[in-house]
Amino acid sequence: MDKKTVTTISYLSRLKIDSEKEQKIVKDLDNIIKFVDQLNDVDTSSIEPLTNPLEKTAKTRKDEVTAKNLKKELLEVAPSANEDYFLVPRVVE
Amino acid sequence: MSWETVIGLEIHAQLSTKSKLFSGGSTEFGAESNTHVDLVDMGLPGVLPVVNKEAFYKAIRFGLATGAEINQVSSFDRKNYFYPDLPKGYQITQMTKPIVEKGSIKVLTDEGEKLINITRAHLEEDAGKSIHDLFEGETGVDLNRAGTPLLEIVSEPEISSAKEAVAYFKAIRQLVTFLDICDGNMAQGSMRCDVNVSIKKSGDKELGTRAELKNINSFKFIEKAINYEIERQIRVIENGESVIQETRLYDSDKNETRSMRSKEEANDYRYFPCPDLLPVVISDKELQEIRDNLPELPEEKESRYVSEIGLEESEAKIISSSKAMANMFEEASSKTDDIKLVAKWLVGDISALLNKYNIEIDESNLSPENFGKLIERISDNTISGKIAKSVLEEVWDNGSDVDEIIQTKGLVQIQDESLLEDIARKVIDSNSDQVAAYRSGKDKLFGFFVGQVMKETQGKANPKSVNEILKKLLK
Repeated sequence: MDKKTVTTISYLSRLKIDSEKEQKIVKDLDNIIKFVDQLNDVDTSSIEPLTNPLEKTAKTRKDEVTAKNLKKELLEVAPSANEDYFLVPRVVE
Repeated sequence: MSWETVIGLEIHAQLSTKSKLFSGGSTEFGAESNTHVDLVDMGLPGVLPVVNKEAFYKAIRFGLATGAEINQVSSFDRKNYFYPDLPKGYQITQMTKPIVEKGSIKVLTDEGEKLINITRAHLEEDAGKSIHDLFEGETGVDLNRAGTPLLEIVSEPEISSAKEAVAYFKAIRQLVTFLDICDGNMAQGSMRCDVNVSIKKSGDKELGTRAELKNINSFKFIEKAINYEIERQIRVIENGESVIQETRLYDSDKNETRSMRSKEEANDYRYFPCPDLLPVVISDKELQEIRDNLPELPEEKESRYVSEIGLEESEAKIISSSKAMANMFEEASSKTDDIKLVAKWLVGDISALLNKYNIEIDESNLSPENFGKLIERISDNTISGKIAKSVLEEVWDNGSDVDEIIQTKGLVQIQDESLLEDIARKVIDSNSDQVAAYRSGKDKLFGFFVGQVMKETQGKANPKSVNEILKKLLK
């Protein structure tokens, strides 16, 4: 774990890190990863990866439209919207 | 130096379910903005996705039809990225355990049939739609499409030209429409594709660096974009530079591909298993049921048309080339006994009209009922084939009923032999020069007399009778 990796992660997750805390976060993350890395000592080559700890399988639904038209309500709670669309700062392609 | 092209396609086919992959929101196309948005599609806190089983069934149909392995236990992962039309900040997709793996499809190329392997086909949700040009300084977001089920079909990099890529795409489109799992409508975005293109020196084992061309939605543009990109890569390498692995956007107005590097910055999707969804299990019974109910596929239709109905192979191929065409053939055939004539008109005049207007048969004004009736009127001698062409043109224009056109325009064929004989005599009497020439051996003039009789009767004479009468009179 180094400063550059932390900068990348903070960019990807859109979380801003104060520069004075940066060194501490590098150290904290480094410790966390070292701790979790202990798991690599266990030989898991013959074990199926676990996708969910519940060991159950998914309930599914039939192909039916059940949703109501919530346009007005949803647009109302958005931080910014007009009568038809959610609005965000312009995303230029 | 000669170069080899290596192409792989990722095709997104929108599955034709009524509701979304993880919510009860409607998937209807063209609805008023943001009216088909469920709380799950919004990504609101505290909601959980629930899998639409029908999307799995449709994906499995595709798997079975391509001879693929079906993972009866499959799971979902999160692909993380930020974009306004992706409300949750991640797309739910199948990374580690896709529902379908290792299939293949036969593609017709210039060099003959080629088998293209399909690496995988997995389920994932579509994003919403961003509207960039409607509002000053802002982007509008319509989430109607968010959560619509997509089947992403990934080919092996085994395609070796732009033309072959188009042939592969067409084969996939034909298959998904026959399977009734996707409507194949490219204009509405029901099928889109990303193309991976790289080049290598002829004979080299190792693949070159690839560029990904994003979101192309027409056959024409697939071919053009790939051809442009191949030339660009050859130019880059021959200039002593190297191709960069990147995403490029095809600009159809300028016919060029452009780097999208700005968006690629620190592109890391950080896939991990989606904790909101448990593995989805398909039972043996479910799998068997899907297998038992697979619809007839294009190849099966083609050989049945030849062996059971007696069509020419070339006719059978054209008719089974699209679901709409096959439907038209089968439905019209149920309205008349002359099935071979149905086929003849479909591959002849009707195909010509379809090419001329560049549309699919189900977009035309011709209904199977009306088409069947037209064939029936030809085969019961009510109208001649020539008149039928003009009737077809009118149906094509406005969809009018065949019998009504025949009635109101007085197009019923003249069967009355004595009337036809009178007209033929008149033609012969007023063209004595041609008659003399014909009798002295100019056989080709026979067509002239037929033409004159047809002209006199406005094309309504039964051509067979006209031939017989003229032969008799000109002897």
